[in-house]
Amino acid sequence: MSDSLTSNDFDAIVIGAGNAGLTAATALQRGGAKTLLLERHNIPGGCATSFVRGEFEFEVALHQLSGLGTEDKPFIMRKIFGELGVMDKVEFVQEHELYRMAVKDEFDITLPASWTGIRNVLIENFPAEEAGIKTFMTLCEQVTMESFMGLPMARKMNSEEMLMKNCKNYAEHGLRDAKSVLDEHFESEQLKTLLAAYWCYLGMPPKDINFCDLAVMLYAYGVFKPWHIKGGSQALSSALLESFLEAGGEVRFNCSVERIVTDQSGDKPTVKGIVTEFGEEISTGQVISNASTVVTFGDLLDTPVMPEGISKDFKSRDIGTSAFCLYLGMDKTPEQLGIKNASTFLSQTMDEELMHDTMSTMNPPVATMLTCYNVDDPSFAPPGKSQISLLCLQYGSVWEDIPVEKYAETKYAFAEHLLNQAEEFFPGFRASIEEVEVATPLTMMRYLNTPGGAIYGFQQNPEDGPLHRPRYDDVNGLHIAGSWQGMGGFQPTYMVGTSTAQAIVKKLKKQRSAEAAKKEMGVANV
Amino acid sequence: MSNSNELLKNIVGYWDGVERKQAREQVGTDFSEQKGKTASDIAKLHPKRLQLTVSEIFQDTPSTKTFRLVQSKQSLVNKPLPPFQAGQYINLYTTIDGVETARPYAISSCPTHREYYDLTVKIVDGGFVTNYLLGDEVKVGQEFSSTSPMGTFYHNPIFHGDDLVFLAGGSGGAPARSMIESALNRDSNINFHLVYGNSYENDVIFQDTFRELADKYDNFQLSEVISRPTEGYEGLTGHLSKELITELTGDASSKTFYICGPTPFNDYCVEQLKALGVEDKRMRIECNGPPKKPSCLDGWPEVVSEVDEVTVTVKGRGQFVAQAGEPLLNSLERNGYTVENACRSGECSLCRVKVLSGEVFNPPESLLRKSDKDFGWVHSCVAFPTTDIEILY
Repeated sequence: MSDSLTSNDFDAIVIGAGNAGLTAATALQRGGAKTLLLERHNIPGGCATSFVRGEFEFEVALHQLSGLGTEDKPFIMRKIFGELGVMDKVEFVQEHELYRMAVKDEFDITLPASWTGIRNVLIENFPAEEAGIKTFMTLCEQVTMESFMGLPMARKMNSEEMLMKNCKNYAEHGLRDAKSVLDEHFESEQLKTLLAAYWCYLGMPPKDINFCDLAVMLYAYGVFKPWHIKGGSQALSSALLESFLEAGGEVRFNCSVERIVTDQSGDKPTVKGIVTEFGEEISTGQVISNASTVVTFGDLLDTPVMPEGISKDFKSRDIGTSAFCLYLGMDKTPEQLGIKNASTFLSQTMDEELMHDTMSTMNPPVATMLTCYNVDDPSFAPPGKSQISLLCLQYGSVWEDIPVEKYAETKYAFAEHLLNQAEEFFPGFRASIEEVEVATPLTMMRYLNTPGGAIYGFQQNPEDGPLHRPRYDDVNGLHIAGSWQGMGGFQPTYMVGTSTAQAIVKKLKKQRSAEAAKKEMGVANV
Repeated sequence: MSNSNELLKNIVGYWDGVERKQAREQVGTDFSEQKGKTASDIAKLHPKRLQLTVSEIFQDTPSTKTFRLVQSKQSLVNKPLPPFQAGQYINLYTTIDGVETARPYAISSCPTHREYYDLTVKIVDGGFVTNYLLGDEVKVGQEFSSTSPMGTFYHNPIFHGDDLVFLAGGSGGAPARSMIESALNRDSNINFHLVYGNSYENDVIFQDTFRELADKYDNFQLSEVISRPTEGYEGLTGHLSKELITELTGDASSKTFYICGPTPFNDYCVEQLKALGVEDKRMRIECNGPPKKPSCLDGWPEVVSEVDEVTVTVKGRGQFVAQAGEPLLNSLERNGYTVENACRSGECSLCRVKVLSGEVFNPPESLLRKSDKDFGWVHSCVAFPTTDIEILY
C-alpha cells in the first residue's frame, strides 16, 4: 500500500493484536487505510492464542465460537470473516451439543445444539414446566431478534412508536435481570440453573445480568451452533494477521506502546501519534487501542489528567473477573475418560450467588467448566489422547497479595481443588495427565496486560451494557476496541474491532475527498 | 443523547440502570491509584529483563565454572531476584566481538536463596558463548542482562508424583542440583535418585554437593557413572543403559524421570526408558540447543549440504549470506539483526519469524503451532535455511 489517506506515517495505528485489534487492523488496511499493528508479545491473538507443550497444542481461551451459523443458515460472523478475507484460511468445526450441566446430587442434563432439540430435552426432563419452557424459548427468540434488528432501527430513527411496535418484548424484558425472568417462567430450581449456565461466559450471576444477554446466548448458540476452530483460536488470529499482511499492513511484534501522544491545544485532546517502548515516535491521526481502557487512559494517554468523561465512566465501573485455568494433555481418549461433550459445566451447588461469591476468595471453587476440544474433532490431540481445559472464574485481586515466593505452591494447591472436582465426575481423570500448565489470574494479567487479569473487561452489570454506556469520544482520534468498552468474549470483540475500523475508514475517506475538493477549488480560484 | 435517553426510558429497567450507574459514580474510583500497577504486578513475577552483575566465580571442575549473579542496581544488590521453579533457566544476553547474542543457562542454585542466581557453565567444543564465558575476559563485577526465569523443566507436583529419578549427563548436573536440593528441602515424601553420567571422573560438576546430600538425606540416592574411566576406577562405568537404570532404580514404570544432558545423551536415555516401557508422561526432557548436525535428521533435503551458502533477505531491511547448517537466529544475530529469543531450542517460540519465500528445515525440536505451519512461521533458533529465503519479523 503505497498511497495513504493522510500525510502521517500511518493513517491508523492499532495497539494490541487481540481479537478486536486484529479485526480492526485488517478491516482498516483492507479498507485502504495505511495501518501499523503493534503487539507487545511475539504472536498475534491476545486471548485467542495457543501454546505447545510436548505433543499438545493448547487452546487458551476459546470455548465456543458463536455467531457463525451454518453454511445453509449463515449468521453475522460468517459475513464478517468473509469480508476480512479469512474464510478460506481457517476451518471451523461444529459442536453438536450446547453443553452438559451436572450438579452434584441434583441433575445431569445435556442440551443439544438445536433449538427444537433443546425444547424437547427440557420438556422431557421437566414435563410439568412445558408451557413455561415454550413461552420462555419464544421470548428468547423474540428478544434476540429485536435486539439485533428492531432496537438499532428504533434508536437510529429515535422513534418511540417503532420501539414499542417492533421491540415490544425487548422493551418489556430485555433489561430485566435474568433471574427474575427465569423465576417468572419456572418453578424448578434445577431448570433455572440449567438454563442460566451461560452466565459464566459473562462473569456475573443471573440476578446481575440483563435477560437479553442470556437470551441472545441461548438462542444464538442453539440456532447458529457453537463452533471450534481447527488449530484453535490461534489459527484464526494467524489468519487475520495473514490477511492484514496480504493487504499491505505492517506489523511489529515484541513492541509495546509507551505513550499515546496528543495535541492538547483544542477543547479536546487530539491524537498525533504514539511512542514505542524503544522511544520511536510514529505519527498518526487515528489510534485504535485494543489494550484495556484502564491502561489506555491511565498509563498510555499523555494528558496530565484523565479526560473528565473517562474518569466519570471509570468511577461507575468495577474490574471484571479473571480465571484460573488448567490446560491438560491427557493420555486417554475422551471416551476412555468418560467425556461425551465438548462443554461441561460441573457444579457442587445450584446457588449462583454462592458461585459468584466464591470467585472473590481462595476457597475451593464450587463451579468449574471443562472443555474437551477433541470430542468433536480428534485433531485437537495426538491419536489416543485428548486436550482439556478445566477452569473456574476467579477475581484476580485475591492473587495480587500472595508473596511471590509462595506463588508456585499456591497455584498448585489451588489446582488440586479443580482436579478433585473433575475426578469426582470423571473417575481416573488425574491418573491420565500427560501434560499440564496452570494459569492463574496473574498469568492472565501477564499475557493480557489487564488490571486484575480481567478476561472479559469491566464487570458486566446490567447498567454496563451498550444502552447505558455510549462509546468514548473524549479524545479525537482515540478509539477503544475490545472487551473494555462492550462485552467480552470472541464474537463481541471481533465485531467491535470491525465496526470501529469501518467508521474510521469512512471518516478518513470523507476527509480526503473534502481535502481534494478544497484543493480543486483552490486551483479553480487561481 | 438526551433524546435517545428519552426513548430508552420506555425500556423496562433502563432507568433503574441509569440510577445505579449514577450511584456508583459517587462512590467509585477512576483507577488513577492503579497507575502502573498492572505493569509492576507483572514485573514482580516476570520482569522482561533483569540487570545482573557477576559477584563471584567458582571453578567447579577443569571444564566448568559457576557464575554467581546478583542484581546490578546498587539499591537492589542482595535483594531477592524473581522467584523460579528449580530446573528453570534464564537467557543471558551478551555481546561478543560486536555480535549481540544470548544463551539459556539453567539456574543451579536453589530457589530458597534468591539474592543470587548461580549459572553453571561447562565448556562446549567450539561453543561461541561458553568459550567467551569460560575465558579470562569475564570477571567479577561484569554486568549482563537476562530474561526472567522461564522454562517447563521442573517438578510439577500435580502429576509427577514423588518417586523421582534424574538422569543427568555432564552439564545436566546444573538443573539437577537445584531441583534435587529444593525438593529435599521442601518435601520429605519425595524420593529422589540421581543417576549422573560423566565422561571423566575428575570432571563431575557438584560432586561434593551431591555426595553430601546423599549422606544427609535418606530419601536421596546418588549413582555416579563414568563413561571414560581411568584404569583402576572402581565406580560404575559405561552408559545409562536400560539394564543399568533397572539395576540402580528398580521398577521404572511408576517413577517420573527427568532427563538433562547433551542432546545425544537425552536421545539415548529416552530410547532406553521407552524400551523399559516408561510412558511419555513419565519422561520430562530438558531441551538442549539446536541440533548440531541437522543434515543427519529425517526430512533434510538430500541435495543440500550444511555448508551450502544461501541468501537470507530480511524484508525491508537488508540481506546477508548464511550457511544452510547454521540456525537462522545465529546468522541473523551475526549480521546485526536483533530477534527476541530465550530457549534457543525450539520450545519457547519467542524467536518466531515468518518465511515469505524459500525453504526452511524445521527439526523435531521446533514445537510449531499448527497455524505456524499453515502460514509459514518458524522458530528461527532451530530453523535452517535450505534455499535462499525472504523473512519477515
